[in-house]
Amino acid sequence: MNNYETLYVLKPTLTDEETAANIAKIEDILVKNGAEILATNKMGMRRLAYPVQKNERGFYTIVYFKAAGNVIAELERNLKFNEEVIKYLTVKYTKKKEIAQFEKLVANANQVKEEPKVEETPATTEEVATTETTQA
Amino acid sequence: MAERRKFKKRYCKYCEMKVDFIDYKDLNLLKFSLSERFKIMPRRLTGNCKRHQELVTVAIKRARQTALIPYIVDRKNVVENPFELIK
Repeated sequence: MNNYETLYVLKPTLTDEETAANIAKIEDILVKNGAEILATNKMGMRRLAYPVQKNERGFYTIVYFKAAGNVIAELERNLKFNEEVIKYLTVKYTKKKEIAQFEKLVANANQVKEEPKVEETPATTEEVATTETTQA
Repeated sequence: MAERRKFKKRYCKYCEMKVDFIDYKDLNLLKFSLSERFKIMPRRLTGNCKRHQELVTVAIKRARQTALIPYIVDRKNVVENPFELIK
């Protein structure tokens, strides 16, 4: 199980329900594949720095989760197919410092929602491997 | 000579702030190392240490991929205040 963080941007033209539905759909994919969702952070609608598929704005959402490596391929395949998703980026946290930061981010995301979740403190994984996984 | 040294050599801001990890979503941290045109500033001008420069480079590139900051700012679509825009 690795720590991952996926950021994706939904189209600005969607209604609130559609946005929620899409977010639920993506989380569903994760859960089905045996990932453990730690937190979601909705950054909300913001201006894109450059137009993406002729969109000037986008709805940013971040999911923090723990999963095995093969889940990422499945997730990204789905994100690619989903026409409402205009951008996505998955980042893996491996090194000790990164994991510490990851936990902080998760805690922050949970705090914003005001959901006092149980503190997750996994045994620190080995300090190896590279960080980067995929590109948008 | 005075003109060549536009930026005086500085200490590493990230070291001073004791930053261990630079998150690509935290644009306030990235700002120090970006020029007006959103180029990555070289170490000799910002005074960043090597370790933090490497961290910030990765973070900036990720931020660009996710449209948080622009790749380029050109003359075709000039923005009044680019840093206002990204917030």
